[in-house]
Amino acid sequence: MQPSSSAALSLGVALLFLSMLAGILWGTAELSWAERLHVLTRSDDAPRGVSLIIWQWRVPRVLAVALIGAMLALAGVLMQSTLRNPMADPYIMGLSSGASAAAVAALIWLPEGVVQMIGVPVISFLGAGVAFAMTLLLSVRRGHSLDPNIVILAGVAISLMFQSVTSFFLYIGDPHASRSALGWLMGSAAGADWADIPVLVAGFGLIAVPAFRYAPSLDAMLLGDQRALALGVRVDRLRVLVFTGTVLLTGLAVSVAGIVGFVGLILPHLARLLAGARHRVLLPLATVLGALTLVIVDLLCRTLLAPEELPLGVLMALFAAPPFILILRRARRAV
Amino acid sequence: MRSDTFLQLDRVSVAGGDTTIVHDASLAVVKGEFHGLLGANGAGKTSLLRLLYFDARPSAGRIRLMGRQQDNWPRLDWAQMVGVLVQGGGLLNGLRLRDIVEIGLNSSRNGRHRIGEALEIAGLSDIANRPAEHLSGGELQRAFMAQLLARDPELYVLDEPTNHLDLHYQLILLDEVKRRGKTVLASLHDLSIAARYCDRVSVMDQGRIVAQGKTESILTPDRLAQTYRIAAHMDQGVLRVQGPLV
Repeated sequence: MQPSSSAALSLGVALLFLSMLAGILWGTAELSWAERLHVLTRSDDAPRGVSLIIWQWRVPRVLAVALIGAMLALAGVLMQSTLRNPMADPYIMGLSSGASAAAVAALIWLPEGVVQMIGVPVISFLGAGVAFAMTLLLSVRRGHSLDPNIVILAGVAISLMFQSVTSFFLYIGDPHASRSALGWLMGSAAGADWADIPVLVAGFGLIAVPAFRYAPSLDAMLLGDQRALALGVRVDRLRVLVFTGTVLLTGLAVSVAGIVGFVGLILPHLARLLAGARHRVLLPLATVLGALTLVIVDLLCRTLLAPEELPLGVLMALFAAPPFILILRRARRAV
Repeated sequence: MRSDTFLQLDRVSVAGGDTTIVHDASLAVVKGEFHGLLGANGAGKTSLLRLLYFDARPSAGRIRLMGRQQDNWPRLDWAQMVGVLVQGGGLLNGLRLRDIVEIGLNSSRNGRHRIGEALEIAGLSDIANRPAEHLSGGELQRAFMAQLLARDPELYVLDEPTNHLDLHYQLILLDEVKRRGKTVLASLHDLSIAARYCDRVSVMDQGRIVAQGKTESILTPDRLAQTYRIAAHMDQGVLRVQGPLV
């Protein structure tokens, strides 16, 4: 690891720690500094209400947001490297639009009891899975390997199709149900609790550990399919593994916080600018930056217009637009 | 099969969709030889070479390396033995020139000490830290040439190496490979280069290997007329061309 890369990583980890602490200490509830620190350090004899806000509400929310940011950024790096397209992100395979269409359909058409029994997360997860399967089916040609450009085109087509389906449902649905569906579409981590944390940690670990192990193969993928094959990489198998991992990462993230775009698109680029494209460094750095960004944006969502809470997905998109335009201007393909 | 056969293709066919691109091709490359694969455009040379880095699978026939069937080789071990110089687009943003060379060594697990020498040979030592997006097309090709030289495989598979390198570096690459005494299988369209470097050649036409043998015995006026539709002859290792046949 280059000295500059390890410096960027150490700084990122330090900032992440500080931002998480800020996310726990700041919020809408008016607590004195003595109360906040008291609860954090000696929670046993702290006032019950304050302890509840900090430990049952803010800590799991900050942890969940950090994990979701990390997962989306990790998924973004994996997608961009294996599809070799700087504009690829976890949602390029139609995942988010599939998840939204399913969730909106359920919220509008299914009886409330049924939706609560199955759970919007599960329904959105299924929607993402269906969209992913359709994208893959459209991309596979017998006897040919997966062409990244075809995968992206198929993903865009499936995305557009499900977006129209979502708009159609919102248009014809009952206004009250449509409003609640819209809220979900804009993303929010307000519903995150301790039960989400082990699931997110497990999902993140399940993909992050092998991704790090496959770093040399992911490096080789950057050079082109033929060159990667010549270096001994099983290109098609790696691509299917990565796509499956991305569905898992995105599905889990969507199931807890709804639709939060741009994290998987922007942060991998920022990490690449800071530390280069080699995956041994890029993967951890992008992951830390994804977590850091989403923790900060979530804190702003809670505090900017307090006591009103802004939707996480909307604010993230607002912050992401300027860097996105910069990336578009920089995007140049070598070779 | 000779005991010193390094690579053996035994009645190999390659299918592309409903058509057969390579028919029943047999080829033996002896250890240490420079073997040229000649033929007009579309003769099937590239399709045959794609088999050697798993970019295509034979629809019939067998491929053996050192007597062991291709499917029985672990991919990374195969890649360590068989190094390939191919064209192909990539997403190189964020990589430095040196990274391109190093990535080639990750899977072969050795050869780091050869990076400096390889960059030197390819004339890239001074720009090793330059970002890939600031390299010219020629410099990128030389970066991949340096990657191959640093990997230094037992079998060099070169697909039209003269296509994207300027003449100076074509000769440097081929001289270096020849000097190392490793086994080479190269598709070449430049017959002067073939005459200069190849110990033996195989000539492909419409997906079949139609002739095979020592270079000077194959590059005869009749064969050149039949394969390339030109009137030409070899004169002490140099190709003398009279013109196209009509």
